[in-house]
Amino acid sequence: MHAALSFGLLLAGAAQSGMQLGELDVPRAKAKQFVVYASEAQTVPAGKPATLMLRFRVEDGYHINSHQPTSELEIPTTVELVPDAGVRLEKTQYPTGKIYVPAFDPSEKLDVYAGEFIVRLPVVAAAGSHSLHGSFKYQACDRAACYPVKTLPLDVLFVAR
Amino acid sequence: MNSGWTRRIAVVGLMVVAITLMIWAGVHNARERRRQQQEQDAARVVLIPEKGGAAAAEEGADPAPKLQGKPAPAFTLVDLEGKKVSLADFKGKPVLVNLWATWCGPCKLEMPWFEEFSQKYAGQGLIILGVAADDAGKTVIASTAKKLGVTYPILLKDDKVEDAYGGADYIPESFYVDRSGKVMLATAGISDGGQGGKDEIEANIKRLIATSAD
Repeated sequence: MHAALSFGLLLAGAAQSGMQLGELDVPRAKAKQFVVYASEAQTVPAGKPATLMLRFRVEDGYHINSHQPTSELEIPTTVELVPDAGVRLEKTQYPTGKIYVPAFDPSEKLDVYAGEFIVRLPVVAAAGSHSLHGSFKYQACDRAACYPVKTLPLDVLFVAR
Repeated sequence: MNSGWTRRIAVVGLMVVAITLMIWAGVHNARERRRQQQEQDAARVVLIPEKGGAAAAEEGADPAPKLQGKPAPAFTLVDLEGKKVSLADFKGKPVLVNLWATWCGPCKLEMPWFEEFSQKYAGQGLIILGVAADDAGKTVIASTAKKLGVTYPILLKDDKVEDAYGGADYIPESFYVDRSGKVMLATAGISDGGQGGKDEIEANIKRLIATSAD
């Protein structure tokens, strides 16, 4: 009788090439892709403002740009969801990023998410089960290189009662 | 007696009803938990990279390392002025093909080094081509290259060249194409980014220049 809010995230470990990397001090995860997800039951009060928590985790050794990166050239992390009937979505609340100084350039300061982070999704939902579909867009780097931006599907289920 | 039996029967009856209710509630809750779990599992989105993924996770699935020692894949791309540039234009010369992007920090750290080396070793025939593996658009790419002081050719990627050079899934990537047109060396990422990284690139360039056209 609990509502369910579930989501998952696979951050693209992507294909780390094996090119001459023996000489480079870079993370060389054997697993060339890695899955991080969080799942929790969640109920919100029907017809009242409530907040859904979307929990994400970036794999160790990697970071992704925060929602407000330090440079306009950097691609921000964004969550976009299409409202279900009976759900009013308010403005998504992103966490503040952490300052990250890359080893390759100590003069640079990046604003990133690393480890666990929570995106808050304020909603007002009518009673019943709801399903929100959308996407999670991010651009990841490790300490030596960067991966292309990924736009990936995201589903969020919850119940309002 | 009668009232005693009646009471006992009533108590037993109540117990049976209570136990039945408890069993029913347990079964119902178990079913409900199972239903919720199924719902959660169904909602647990597995976000799969557009490139890479399971296929690339297999050892050796990334084609880039396989290029080492092989003829460099031919390409014809457009530069920032709209001029067509082919790898074949530089036959017999040492060519460094560098894949970069405007959003890639380590790429932008390296590029001024490449600019320095392109001038330093121009007399020995060195050609550096920067391929922007980027969807930012020509204007942003051009302004970024300008800010970095880059004057060597910046080419706009197409899917074909990205695929041919391993998918550009981990950048910066550099392909050192020797005078015979083979990939002498392929590198990805930046080492410590300090003088060590720069020195390493220069050493690779010197090796590249020393190759023969045979």
